Amino acid sequence: MAAPVYRKAILVSRKESPRGYVHLVIREEQIARTASPGQFVMVRGWHTGDPILPRPFDIVLADPLKGVFRICIKVEGKGTRLLSALKKGSTLYVTGPLGKSITEFDTAGTALLVRGAGSAAVVFLAETLTKLKKPVYTVLSASTKSRLVCRALLEEFSNDLFIATDDGTEGYHGNGTDILDRLIQEGKVDTVYTCGSHRFARHLKALDLAGKVKGFLFLEGNMGCGMGDCHGCAVKKEGKEGYFLVCMDGPVFRSRDVVVE
Amino acid sequence: MQQVDLSVEIAGVRFPNPVMPASGAYEVDEIHDNFFSPSQLGAVINKTIFLHPRPGNPPPRIWETPCGMLNAIGIPCDGADSFIKEKLPILRKLGPPVVVSIAGETMEEWIELSEKIEETGMVDLLELNLSCPNLSEGIPWSTEEKTLERVVSAVVSRVKLPVIAKLSPVVTDIADMARAAERAGAAALSMINTYKGMAIDIRKKRPALGNITGGLSGPAIRPLAVWAVYSAYEVVKIPIIGMGGVEGPVAALEFLLAGASAVAVGMYNFIDPFTMKRTIEGIQEYLVSEGYDSVRQIIGLAHGKG
Repeated sequence: MAAPVYRKAILVSRKESPRGYVHLVIREEQIARTASPGQFVMVRGWHTGDPILPRPFDIVLADPLKGVFRICIKVEGKGTRLLSALKKGSTLYVTGPLGKSITEFDTAGTALLVRGAGSAAVVFLAETLTKLKKPVYTVLSASTKSRLVCRALLEEFSNDLFIATDDGTEGYHGNGTDILDRLIQEGKVDTVYTCGSHRFARHLKALDLAGKVKGFLFLEGNMGCGMGDCHGCAVKKEGKEGYFLVCMDGPVFRSRDVVVE
Repeated sequence: MQQVDLSVEIAGVRFPNPVMPASGAYEVDEIHDNFFSPSQLGAVINKTIFLHPRPGNPPPRIWETPCGMLNAIGIPCDGADSFIKEKLPILRKLGPPVVVSIAGETMEEWIELSEKIEETGMVDLLELNLSCPNLSEGIPWSTEEKTLERVVSAVVSRVKLPVIAKLSPVVTDIADMARAAERAGAAALSMINTYKGMAIDIRKKRPALGNITGGLSGPAIRPLAVWAVYSAYEVVKIPIIGMGGVEGPVAALEFLLAGASAVAVGMYNFIDPFTMKRTIEGIQEYLVSEGYDSVRQIIGLAHGKG
């Protein structure tokens, strides 16, 4: 695993897209150079005591040549609101890259089933698979057209991008899992990653347990540190006692290995 | 930088400097070695172990609060045998004194585990985590004087290792508990463990933590912790390791001046992995600028008796 660093970094650019989601491009050369798909960073943009802890974000993309990487923030609470409001040129504190890299790229076809903030988590993987000339089929889901996240990036790094909206304002009117099931029936995919929806995670785990595909979940956890110190981000092991730590054992897990709520 | 003596002595064991991690808030592993080597620390310590494996509490386990956090981790551990085989040799090889933090669910377990740890011959000090969430006999070990004395004296009578009693601050008067631990034969005190508290998740309209209550740590509790150390220093002769919201040298110096011989860094390791290194360097700078030769010259100075 690449050695993580803790550094002061500069916010190079920020862009809100769609409303409620802010993309930050951060300059930190070592993280940009060593990050790989599946990994995350801990980010802090304050010296205050409230908020006090850094926040975890998946690395959306890393550009080793420019020395920058991108994160996508869903504005939800105090910390994400502060981070999303930072101006270009602001100082951030970042620790990373953290977590286990994805290492299995030797797949016949990969499907990415994502929704909301979870859509950002798989972009790096899609880019890597595309570079390796491995087929990528992405099912991007949202409640409505205006809530689709990372649409342009996922379009760029997918052989086919399927959109599913709950209200039918764009693409398939219904559940993204229907599209996934069709891709599997057509024999196009043997590996599936999902992020951003418990419903998707449950569906994928059932497929994994039935031996239909290899299923993987990008999980989030209640992280204080991101490096195994605080033991906050526990996720229950399937079939045995005890917990994994999302930060150290993940954040990407084989779906059959963990309990999905 | 001008050389000053940063070493302190805790129960006959020399710490090269007065800064160590708090139990359960810093892992010795490859990731942390990237930031700075734990061989630079005043001492190293494990996350508290029990005799038998424990899974820990169901999530959510942590919750951010103003200037601090609540945790209800529940001390997951693989048990004593695994710790002795896997982790203890790694701690021993680092160089600084090794403190092993233990907890028992019963009096028998305290004794059996203490003896087991001593038998390894790889340990310098034994810290008794007397403020663990799993209660025995209906009350926490260090919230009642007689129970505290009973555990400490039972362990002290069975092992030769110097024993540190880690005290809970959730008591009527912590100075009484410090005195009780000293009376029972503790060679040092760790002060303090977290304060019991809770938070409510207003979206879920339920307690924020899976365990309902948790322990509050971080800068939020520092004035309470400094007072605990100050008041104990007035009444005991054994050395104190101070902790509670140490985020850097200023906080550490408060504890030292209040009477702590060393300090432990907990939550702030999560925020800035260089906190302990910064703290060591900052204490050194302070000593030089204030004209001291040794950190030992400032311990307890706030009491005005030196």
